[in-house]
Amino acid sequence: MATTSAPPILSTPSEHVFHDPTASTTELKESKLSEEELYIQYEIPRTIREIRDGRWKRIALQFPDEMLVDAPRVFERLRDGLARERAESRRQKAGRNGVEAIGSGVDAVKLEDETQQSTREADSDEAEEKLTILADTSYGACCVDEIAAEHVDADVVVHYGRSCLSPTARLPVIYVFTPQPLNMARAIADFKATYPDLDDRVCLMADIPYHHHVETLYQKLRGEGYTNLFPTEIQHDPSSLLPNRSIPPSAKENAENLKEYSIYHISTPPTPLLLTLTSRVRNIHIHSTSADTSEAPRTTIALLRRRYAALQSLPSTPTIGILINTLSVRSYLSALTHLQSLLASHGKKAYTFVVGKVNVAKLANFSEIGAWVVISCWESSLLEGLGGDFMAPVVTPFELEVALKGEGSRVWGGEWEADFGSLLKNDGLVNGSAHNPGETASSEANWADDPSDDEEPTFDLRTGRYVSRSRPMGKPRAVDPSTTGAAAPAPPSSALVQRAKGDVAVINGVLSPGAEFLREKRTWTGLGSDYEIAYERDEEGKIRGAAMEVGRSGVAKGYDM
Amino acid sequence: MVQFTVEELRGLMDNPINIRNMSVIAHVDHGKSTLTDSLVQRAGIISAKNAGTARFTDTRADEQERGVTIKSTAISLYGSLLDEEDLKDIPVKTEKNDFLVNLIDSPGHVDFSSEVTAALRVTDGALVVVDTIEGVCVQTETVLRQALGERIKPVVIINKVDRALLELQLSKEDLFQNFSRVIESVNVVIATYFDKALGDVQVVPDKGTVAFGSGLHGWAFTVRQFATKYSKKFGVDKNKMMTRLWGDSYFNPKTKKWTKEGKHEGKELERAFNQFCLDPIFRIFDVVMNFKKDQIPTLLEKLEIKLAADEKDLEGKALLKVVMRKFLPAADALMEMMILHLPSPATAQRYRMETLYEGPHDDESAIGIRDCDPKGPLMLYVSKMVPTSDKGRFFAFGRVFSGTARSGLKVRIQGPNYVPGKKEDLFIKSIQRTILMMGKYTEPIEDVPAGNILGLVGVDQFLLKSGTLTTSETSHNLKVMKFSVSPVVQRSVEVKNANDLPKLVEGLKRLSKSDPCVLTFISPSGEHVVAGAGELHLEICLKDLEEDHAGIPLKVSDPVVQYRETVAGESSMTALSKSPNKHNRLYVIAAPLSEEVSKDIESDKINPRDDIKVRARILADEHGWDVTDARKIWCFGPDTTGANLLVDQTKAVQYLNEIKDSVVSGFQWATKEGPIAEEPMRSCRFNIMDVTLHADAIHRGGGQIIPTARRVLFAATLLADPALLEPVYLVEIQVPEQAMGGIYGVLTRRRGHVFEEAQRPGTPLFNVKAYLPVKESFGFNADLRSATSGQAFPQSVFDHWQVLPGGSPLDRTTMPGAVVEEMRKRKGIKTEVPGYENYYDKL
Repeated sequence: MATTSAPPILSTPSEHVFHDPTASTTELKESKLSEEELYIQYEIPRTIREIRDGRWKRIALQFPDEMLVDAPRVFERLRDGLARERAESRRQKAGRNGVEAIGSGVDAVKLEDETQQSTREADSDEAEEKLTILADTSYGACCVDEIAAEHVDADVVVHYGRSCLSPTARLPVIYVFTPQPLNMARAIADFKATYPDLDDRVCLMADIPYHHHVETLYQKLRGEGYTNLFPTEIQHDPSSLLPNRSIPPSAKENAENLKEYSIYHISTPPTPLLLTLTSRVRNIHIHSTSADTSEAPRTTIALLRRRYAALQSLPSTPTIGILINTLSVRSYLSALTHLQSLLASHGKKAYTFVVGKVNVAKLANFSEIGAWVVISCWESSLLEGLGGDFMAPVVTPFELEVALKGEGSRVWGGEWEADFGSLLKNDGLVNGSAHNPGETASSEANWADDPSDDEEPTFDLRTGRYVSRSRPMGKPRAVDPSTTGAAAPAPPSSALVQRAKGDVAVINGVLSPGAEFLREKRTWTGLGSDYEIAYERDEEGKIRGAAMEVGRSGVAKGYDM
Repeated sequence: MVQFTVEELRGLMDNPINIRNMSVIAHVDHGKSTLTDSLVQRAGIISAKNAGTARFTDTRADEQERGVTIKSTAISLYGSLLDEEDLKDIPVKTEKNDFLVNLIDSPGHVDFSSEVTAALRVTDGALVVVDTIEGVCVQTETVLRQALGERIKPVVIINKVDRALLELQLSKEDLFQNFSRVIESVNVVIATYFDKALGDVQVVPDKGTVAFGSGLHGWAFTVRQFATKYSKKFGVDKNKMMTRLWGDSYFNPKTKKWTKEGKHEGKELERAFNQFCLDPIFRIFDVVMNFKKDQIPTLLEKLEIKLAADEKDLEGKALLKVVMRKFLPAADALMEMMILHLPSPATAQRYRMETLYEGPHDDESAIGIRDCDPKGPLMLYVSKMVPTSDKGRFFAFGRVFSGTARSGLKVRIQGPNYVPGKKEDLFIKSIQRTILMMGKYTEPIEDVPAGNILGLVGVDQFLLKSGTLTTSETSHNLKVMKFSVSPVVQRSVEVKNANDLPKLVEGLKRLSKSDPCVLTFISPSGEHVVAGAGELHLEICLKDLEEDHAGIPLKVSDPVVQYRETVAGESSMTALSKSPNKHNRLYVIAAPLSEEVSKDIESDKINPRDDIKVRARILADEHGWDVTDARKIWCFGPDTTGANLLVDQTKAVQYLNEIKDSVVSGFQWATKEGPIAEEPMRSCRFNIMDVTLHADAIHRGGGQIIPTARRVLFAATLLADPALLEPVYLVEIQVPEQAMGGIYGVLTRRRGHVFEEAQRPGTPLFNVKAYLPVKESFGFNADLRSATSGQAFPQSVFDHWQVLPGGSPLDRTTMPGAVVEEMRKRKGIKTEVPGYENYYDKL
C-alpha cells in the first residue's frame, strides 16, 4: 500500500497567497490638533457633562475612520475629565454628608443607616465609567453602530463626525458633530455673488460639521440687508422636507411653498441629499469649503436620469435581493416586511441578505439576483460610489416602489427620496396599485382574452425586449384599496394548481427561482460534471454492477470479519 | 372584381397546389403599389368599399400622402388561366383552374427593408418590379438577394415601358436592348446568390418569367401571350414559338423562314420580338398619340379590340390607356406569369423547410412543413404585428406552414429566445380568432390550413415582433428573420409634461411591436431611445409614436449614432487583474477579430449554437484560425450572440471549469458596456492566457471572479489600441451627368467617398455608389438636393462598420476623443476615459 508522505493539500499554501504590494491608501497621519482644538472639536466638556447627567457607566465612543487618529487622545481626555468630575462630586457629597451627620443627634442610628445607603448609592454613582472606542463600523460611519456597542454592553454611544441622524432603535446617542472652521468672509462673498437680490428667499443649510456657522452667517447676512433668509436648525427627522432640518414656516402649510426657496448649502452635501432636494426647492447652490473647486459635482439631473434607467429593469426582474445595510436605523425590520410583502404582491421572489459592509464582490456572489434593494440609513442608500460598479442594479426602497407601480401610473417627475421611513407611512396605498391598470382599461369586450396558462411576458424597457417569467411567484394579487391593512400579505391560496412537468424548481414545496437559475444557467455542477459517467448496462438497460455481498460490520476499532 | 364569400374562399385554401403566396418587391418608386392596384381591380376577392382607388395597399394616410409605401400589406386575389389547356404548363400537376393568390405589397425604400424581409418569409414567390429606365438599383439588388436567401423564386416585370416610349422615344431595337440589359443585370444578381436547392431561377422572357408593361396604364405582356396568339396563326407549337420571339431570332418575310441571322442578302431583318411583340404596341402608341384618328378603327379591328361607346370619344393618353388595357390587360399577364411560374406552397415548402426550420430535419414538425400537411402538427410563423383600431392590440400576421390554425386551438407560443426543453420564452395559450387580412379590412374565418397567410387575434401580448406557434411539444423554432438593415440611428424622446410619462412608455412598447426593425429602450443614462434604420424610418416611427401609439406631444433630440468599441491591435502586454481578495489572477490578451469573422457571426453563419467541431472547422478553413483555439471558444458576446469571442488558451489550469460561468458573466457584462464610453463592443477576441486560482472553492466564487473578469477584459482592451467603430452607409445616387460635381462636393464635406461610378447605358443618368459615415449623413438628402438642384436621388443603407478615423479615442484632442467625451457627457459619466491602470493590477 502506498503511503502518503504528507497530508493532502486542502488549502493554498501560505507561500502562494498573494500579498497586496500597494500600500493602503489612507495613511494614518499624526494628529495635528492642539490640545485646545481637540477640546473644541470633540466637544469634550459637553460630552462629559452629558455622560454625567445621564449617569451612564459604559460608554462607547464611535469614530469614523478619518478621525481614528484622534481617538486615543479623546479617550484620555474623557477618561481624565470624568475622573475629575467624579472626584469633585465625591468631595462635595462627602462634605454634605458630614454636615448632616453633625446636625442629627437623636436618630443617629437611623440616620447612619440612611447615610450608608446613600453613600452606597453615591459609590455606585461614582464608579469608574468604562469607555470603549468603536472603529471599523459595519455599515456607514454616519450611522450609530449599535451592534458593536452592544458587544461592549454600552449604555450610550458617543457618535463623532458627520451623522445621518437616523433614529436609532435601542441605545441613546450623544452626537458630537466635530465642528469645522469656515472662512466666513468667503462664504458671505459667495452668497452675495449668487443671490444679488436682497429679497431672494433662501434657506441656509450646512453640512453637519459646519452647521454651527449657519446662525452666524444668518446674522451677518441680515446685516447686509437680506430679508427673506431662513436659517435651518437641526432636527432628528430624515423624512422632513429638508431632511434633518427645520423648514420655513410657509412650507409647513404647503410643501409646494418650499419650491420658492433656493438653498445655499455650505460644503458638498451627500448625493442622496442632493437628489432629494433637487425636486423640492427652486435651486441649490453649493458653497465648497475646500479651497480648490475643481471637481464640480455631477449635475443632479443626469444622476437622477441614471437612477431612472436603473429602476426600469426592475419590473421584468424575477428575483430581487433585499439587502440589509443597517442594523440600527429604527423600523428597518418593518421596512423589510413591507418590502417583502410588496414584492410578493407583485409575484417577485425576494431573498433577504445581510452581508455586513457591502462591496461589489459580495453582491456578485449571487448572480441569480437580478436587482438589489437596499434598506439602509438614508445617507448611505446610494451604493454607487463604492468603487466599481455592481452587476445588477441597486436601488432604494423608494425606487422599488416607483418601479413596481406599473407602467400605467409610473410618473417620474424628478422627485426622489432616500429615506424609507416616509414610505412606511403611505403603506396601504402602494399595495393597492394593480399591476397594469392601463392595459386592462383599454381592452374591450371583443378583445377579452381567454385565460392563458402562462403569464404574459413583460416588456423590459432597458433592453427593449420581452422577458418571460418576470413574476415567478404568480400573478399580482390586486389588494382591495379600501382595506387599509398595513402590509398584510394576502392569505396563501389553498387551491391546488397543477404544474407542468419540469416547471420551475421547487425547494421544500416552495417555488425557487434562485434554484431554477442555477439549474438552467450554471454549467459547472460539481466535480466530475465535465465527464460523463458511463455505466455498463445489460440488454434491458439496467445498470450492470457487481453482485452484492455482505461486508464487514462493527466499529472502526475492530471490525467483525 | 370577383365576389367571393368567405366559405368559397375557404374552399380554395384547402388545395395547396392552387395557392400562390407572393410578394411584390422592388426599388422605391419603381411602381409596385400601382401595379398591385391593377391586379386588385381585376382580381380582388372580397369586395372592399374603396377597392379600385389608387394605391389600395397603402392603407395609411401618410403612405397615400407621400406616395411611399411604409408597411407591407397583404391582399388575396382570385385567378384562373384563360385557357384550361395552360394548366399543363404548370410544372406540378394541377387539376382545378381556380387559384388563390396571396399577394403582399412591400415598401421599396431601404429604410423599410425589414418589412420586405417579413413579407418574404411568408411567401414563396416574388414579383420583382424593375423600372425600364432606371434599371436594377441598389434596393432591387438587396431585396432580390434577400428573396433568394429565403429560397423564394423570382419573376420579373419591367415596368414603366410607357415612359420609354413617350418620354425617351426609344426605337424598337433600343427598347429591346434596354430590356435585355435589365434582364441581364437581374440575372447577374440571381447568379451571384445561386442556391442549389432552389435550382436555376434565372429569368428569361422566352420561358415567360419576364413581363413588360406599364402599371400606371394598366397593361403588360409576356412573350408567352404573344406566342399563344401567333402559334395558331403560324401553326407552330406555342413553346417553340416562345423561344422564337426573344433574342437573336428573326423571321424572314421573303423566305417565310425563321433564322438566327440578323441579315438576309445584305438587308437588315427585323428582330422577331420587335416585329411581333413590340410592333403592335408601337403602332397603337403612334396612332393614338399622334392623333391619327382615321387609322384608329382599323387598327382596333385588326387587334380585335372593342371599345365601349363612351370610350370612343376619348383622345390622347386617356384613349391610349383604354386601348392598351383592352389589348394587353396587366392583370392577365401577371396572373398568368404568377400561376405558371411561381411555386405553390406544396412545392416550395419541400425545399424551403431546411432554411425555415431550426430543428432536426426529420422530426414531425419538419416533415409537416415539408409536406405542407394540413393534418400535421401546427407550425405557424408570425412575421409581424399589425396595429388594430383597438389601441394597444395587434393582429399577428403570419403563415401556416403545417397543420391547421383554427380559433380556440391551444398552441405553444415560442418567442425568438425559446430553446427546446427550456421554459424561457414559451407560453401556452389558445388562439382567440383566426382572420383574413385584406388591406385594411379583416374577415373572420373558421380555420386556415397549411400554406396560407392569415391574421391571428389574441396572441399579440406574448410576442414582441415575431415568433413561432406550434402544437408539437418537441418542435423547435422556425428560424428568426435576419434583417438587411440595422437600427443604427437613434433619437431620444422626452415628454413635455411629466404626467405623460406612462403614455410614452406604453407608446414605446407599441411602437416596438408595430415595426419589425425599430428598437425602443431606455439608455443607461435614462433617455428614452428610439433606434431606426435611417432618418426617414425614424421620422415615420416618431410620428407614429407622437400621433398614434403615445398620443402626446414629445420633445425629440437630434439624431445620434450608435458606436461600437473595438481594438485595433493586440494588447501591448498581457493584462492582469487580481480578484478583490488577491487570491486569484486572470491574464488576458485582446486582439482584433477579422472583419469577415465578425460579419459571419452577425449574419449567423458562425453561430454560438452550432456544433463546436463544425464551427471550429469553418473558422479554421475559412478564417485561418488554429483548430484547437477555435474549439475552445468559451462564448460569444454581448447577449451570447454578439461578434466578440472569449477564447481559452490556458494550459492545464486546475479548477478552470469551475470559474467558466463566472468569467463568461464578466465577459457578457464587459462586452455589453465597454470601457471607453459604455457602448457595446464588437470584433474583439479575448484570449485567456493563464489563470491562477485559490485552492478553496469559497475564495474563487462568482463574487471574486466576475468583477475581476470584467476588469481584466477592460484592461486588455485599453492596452490594445482601442478604437471606436462607426456605422457607414452605402449610398447609391442616381444623377444626371451635369449635376455630378455637386455630389462630390457634398460627399467630401461629409467624409464620404465615391467608389463606383457608372453610366446607365442608353441614358444620361449616372449611378454613383459611395460610402458615407452615418454620423455625417444627417441632412445629407436635403444638402444633396440643394447642391444638385434636386436632380440627385440618394438611397442610403447601412453597410458596414469602420474605425472612426482621426486618432485614439482616449486622446481628447482628436475627433474620436471628442466624440467619446460628448457621449460620456450625455450618459452622465465622468468625461475622461479611465486609464488601463484602473483595471490592471501589478504582479
